[in-house]
Amino acid sequence: MMEIGLTHYLAFAAALFTIGVFGIFVNRKNIIVILMSVEMILLAVNVNFVAFSVFLGDLVGQIFAMFVLTVAAAEAAVVLAILVVYFRNRGTIAVDDLNVLKG
Amino acid sequence: MNLASVTHDLAFMTPELVIAVGAMLLVLMGAFVSKSAYRAITYLSVVVLLVAGFLGVQHAPDNAQVLFNGSYVVDAFGGFAKLIIALTAACAILLSADYLAERNLEKPEYPVLALLAVLGMYVMVSAHDLLAVYMGVELQSLALYVLAAYARDDRKSSEAGLKYFVLGALSSGILLYGVSLIYGFTGTINFGKLMTIAKDTSNVGLIFGMVFVLSGIAFKMSVAPFHMWTPDVYEGAPTPSTAFFATAPKMAAAILLGRFLFEAFGEVVSQWRDVVSIMAVLSMFVGAIFALQQTNMKRLLAYSSILNMGYAMVAIAAGPVYGPSALLLFTAIYAITSVGMFGVLLSMRDAKGKEITKISGYSGLSKQRPLLSLALTIMFFSITGIPPLLGFFGKFQIFIAAVDGGVMPLALILVIASVISAFYYLRVLKVVWFDEPSVEIVGGLATTKVTVTGVTLMIALLTPFIGLIYTASMAAGHFFK
Amino acid sequence: MNVTVETLALIVVFAPVIGAIIAGLFGRVLPAKVSMTVTTGLLMVAAASAITIFIGYWDKSLVLPDEPIRIFKWIDVAGFTSTWSIRLDAISVVMMAVVTSVSSMVHLYSWGYMSDDPFKPRFFAYLSLFTFAMLSLVTAADFMQLFFGWEGVGLASYLLIGFYFLKRSANDAQIKAFVVNRVGDFGFVLGIMSVYFVFGTIEFKDVFHAIPHHIHDTMGWGKLQLPAMEVIALLLFIGAMGKSAQFLLHTWLPDAMEGPTPVSALIHAATMVTAGVVLVTLCSPIFQVAPFASGVVTLIGAITAIFAATIGIAQNDIKRVIAYSTCSQLGYMFFAAGIGVYQAAMFHLFTHAFFKAMLFLGAGSVIHGLHHEQDMRKMGGVWKPMKITYAIMLIGTLAITGVGIPGTNFGFAGFFSKDAIIESAFAASSEGLPFATFAFWMGILAAFLTSFYSWRLAFMTFTGTFRGDAHGGHHDDDAHAHAVHAAHVEGHHDAHQEDGVAPAHESPLVMLVPLFILAFGAIFAGFIFNDAFVGEGAHDFWGHAIYVSPENHILHARHNVPEWVKFMPLTVTLLGLLGAMIVYLWNKGLGEKIAKATGPIHAFLYNKWYFDELYDAVFVKGARALGDFFWKVGDQKLIDGIINGIASDTNIISKKSVKVQSGYVYHYAFIMLIALVAFGALVLLKKG
Repeated sequence: MMEIGLTHYLAFAAALFTIGVFGIFVNRKNIIVILMSVEMILLAVNVNFVAFSVFLGDLVGQIFAMFVLTVAAAEAAVVLAILVVYFRNRGTIAVDDLNVLKG
Repeated sequence: MNLASVTHDLAFMTPELVIAVGAMLLVLMGAFVSKSAYRAITYLSVVVLLVAGFLGVQHAPDNAQVLFNGSYVVDAFGGFAKLIIALTAACAILLSADYLAERNLEKPEYPVLALLAVLGMYVMVSAHDLLAVYMGVELQSLALYVLAAYARDDRKSSEAGLKYFVLGALSSGILLYGVSLIYGFTGTINFGKLMTIAKDTSNVGLIFGMVFVLSGIAFKMSVAPFHMWTPDVYEGAPTPSTAFFATAPKMAAAILLGRFLFEAFGEVVSQWRDVVSIMAVLSMFVGAIFALQQTNMKRLLAYSSILNMGYAMVAIAAGPVYGPSALLLFTAIYAITSVGMFGVLLSMRDAKGKEITKISGYSGLSKQRPLLSLALTIMFFSITGIPPLLGFFGKFQIFIAAVDGGVMPLALILVIASVISAFYYLRVLKVVWFDEPSVEIVGGLATTKVTVTGVTLMIALLTPFIGLIYTASMAAGHFFK
Repeated sequence: MNVTVETLALIVVFAPVIGAIIAGLFGRVLPAKVSMTVTTGLLMVAAASAITIFIGYWDKSLVLPDEPIRIFKWIDVAGFTSTWSIRLDAISVVMMAVVTSVSSMVHLYSWGYMSDDPFKPRFFAYLSLFTFAMLSLVTAADFMQLFFGWEGVGLASYLLIGFYFLKRSANDAQIKAFVVNRVGDFGFVLGIMSVYFVFGTIEFKDVFHAIPHHIHDTMGWGKLQLPAMEVIALLLFIGAMGKSAQFLLHTWLPDAMEGPTPVSALIHAATMVTAGVVLVTLCSPIFQVAPFASGVVTLIGAITAIFAATIGIAQNDIKRVIAYSTCSQLGYMFFAAGIGVYQAAMFHLFTHAFFKAMLFLGAGSVIHGLHHEQDMRKMGGVWKPMKITYAIMLIGTLAITGVGIPGTNFGFAGFFSKDAIIESAFAASSEGLPFATFAFWMGILAAFLTSFYSWRLAFMTFTGTFRGDAHGGHHDDDAHAHAVHAAHVEGHHDAHQEDGVAPAHESPLVMLVPLFILAFGAIFAGFIFNDAFVGEGAHDFWGHAIYVSPENHILHARHNVPEWVKFMPLTVTLLGLLGAMIVYLWNKGLGEKIAKATGPIHAFLYNKWYFDELYDAVFVKGARALGDFFWKVGDQKLIDGIINGIASDTNIISKKSVKVQSGYVYHYAFIMLIALVAFGALVLLKKG
């Protein structure tokens, strides 16, 4: 039976983080997917925090994770509102259409 | 940590409390009073900012006060920045009043969101641990996302908001990941403790985390190569929001980055100087070169922002001994000049009240609006760095800091970038002064006019007192020893 | 009591600037009379206050504060501070009195002289601005403010010389004055920097106190180490040379006569040009420990005195004669300062201000009366229509030539001050000071020439028959470019004059009153203040303001010079008068004959020793040739080639690189990620 150590948590979080980042720029279809990717990045960070917190025997990391969760909720609220406005204006939420502004 | 120490610590945060309570009261006022309260709320929010700025000066402690178990610090370095942030944010809010009213956007949320963003900036410049950094950055950013998308029937505006959010969230993620690495590899998120830990280990995780945090803040500062959002968001957002983005948040992010690197990693300058120097050079390159192709004034000013943040990075690269005062002086002067330039931009309206953003629309401005042209000229000369205007002294101080701090090549690149940038600033002035008028240009409305006049006078009149400002920034900057 | 002194001093310094601001900013909207009244009135108030302080200090009823009045901190940067202050000591008190009294007289006089000029508010604003700058110069408590005033008077002088801005020669003259002064100012600035370098402060008090500790300091580059005090003194003196039009940097002063005559009287005779003397006197503690530099001051002063005087005898323009006479008298002041009798230099400055302002204003009166004719060859017989002016000019001439009875207290103002200088020079030469003997003989010779050209001026202008073209004179009006028509109309009133009498008219009362007041000064200033300035009371009067080294007793030694020395100046003055009478009074036309007979010499003097031509050939043409070289070869071929290449390359790079900004979020995010990875790799690689 393999013991699950800090390294595993860190590797998992790093993978989650990378997937999240890739989700932002490989995905070209739907903005909602980007929002999910952002959530994933934040959760990867939370895994890190909690894992470090446990292994350091220090509470700060867990408290930090609570703050991150709260901010993530606020972020989701803001971005969904913006997305609704955007959809009303353009009738689409395709990532490729998001390029009126350039140069 | 008992109640007495909390109240003791809170007393030093009076300006922050004023802004927080002010924002809450104003949001209630907006909810319960009719739409007509918009103007009143705008002006009240300006009053709140001025009161906060005044209290910040009034209650400035003689020595740095570290509060709440080391997570927050009130000192002269932050105090100087806070004053400028409050002043420029107040100007930016004033500039929004006419613009929003003319476009049926006069909702009380705007000034309230701006106040909350300023609160975030206050937390940023005073943050002394990474949790405070994160909270400040997020409080600021969330408010700014909404301000970018504020013109909700305008597709450009909502696109700007969305883009800003997506990239901003990514940068927050990067910053947070960095924070988690720093925390994990040192066991602390406090700047003071980090300083001692960073000194004596070759802790890879810590340095890696530092680069992540540095990159995250660089995004907020719009430093290349994390600048890509800047021109698009500047162009798409309603102009008053752009005016706001270009001033106070830039200063706050620059000061935050300065404090983070000087205070937590001040003993290991060599670890981050390369990264900061590369960012500085890239920003100066992008800011100077990309701007040459611009036809839209807002985009031009976006690149100007990037360029100037590149200069600010030079000050940071100069290190904790020479950098801080130059950083303060430069960003303060940049923020003031910048809010003035956007004031001029907001004064450019055609006969129907539509705003003119194309540079070609400025042709012959001097013949129609000589005073406005004069104001624009003063500001452009100032930001180009032509003596005896304020802008010169900021740039000069950075130059000196770079030479003293041992980053001479950056000083040379700064000079070259200044020369190239002078070209595009002067090109606009050429259009203003020497081309024939093409469209009828109506000046700004009352509040805009007053603000532009005020800022122009400030730039022109502060010049003789540069010595005093310089002394203040020197005193405030001599904190990291 | 001190409160009163301070308040008065504030009034003295700031009343003129208030006037200047009102007339300068609101001159266009206010009636001209208002601007004129405000500036003149405020100047009168300032003059009254300054004279109150001066008289109070002189009769010892007022005590001056030891510390300068600090008005506000101007610069306070990293150990370098400069405060705007008013320094009150004997020098500043004397200078305030001189500047404000002459300036107020000139303001008043200008009511008449400038009566037909359409730009009166501008003129009065400039005059008041000048006065303020001069006052801030003389009351400075550190070199920074001194420099501010220094440049301020330079600016006002520039503006006023070019006041007739439609006139080409006036524009050229103002530029010349500005450029030549830059040369001097360069030395001055270097001097100030050296002071800061050596002493670490620019506050007069601190600098002068610290001198004993720095006497043996050196400064320089590597092996080349020069005594610091000598270097500082020489550099400061270069500044003084420029402002006071001393030999080699004198060329701007005669040209400056293109400005309106009241300006010549105020700036180019009585006040601004004396700034150099004030500077040297103020820095007497430095000059006293710099014997070599003091020797240079003596030499340059003596050369200027004689050199300007020789030119003066050959000039025909009435204002130029007086201009060279100013130059020559400044030479006297400098060599007095050079041999260490700063008191005598200040005394001559003081008396000179009165009679020179008077001579200029008198000449202005003549010029005004003759409808802006300045050529003495076209004058003559003017005494008949302008009797008062004639009397005034005679008093001025007696004063400048220094007529008086040696050994007694009877004489005109110039008698006391000039004789003090010449006697001191003799005393100094017997003490073996460098160049003192030379200065003494040059002083005697210059006194002779002074007398000759002054009387020549008086005789050519006022006596004999009118030589000008009765009507033609009116056409030579370009000196008055703004007011051509007014002068014409006025000119026809007195077209019916008798033969041989000048077609002139006496000046209005508003121009004559200042002349009377100045005449009073020209007659009595020497007699009244002789004792306080250079006599027994000198030590008390000057107090700490002037420092003379303990072994310097020249001021006392001058009383013991041989009798022949005391009578020498008067003798040569009378000889000069006799000469002028022979040539210009009793033998009409002899002057022209002598000029012809001595052809080359006369041409040499008439053309001012060909200094303008020399400078033109060396500096102007040389600079142009150099400029041409850099322009055509260096700039057009080399630099433009590179620059244009770089500029077009930059543009191409810009066009290509801006495509990166594609507008797609995923591109932006990708670039951010790449950067992050790159930076991470960078720090890791560095760790190794």
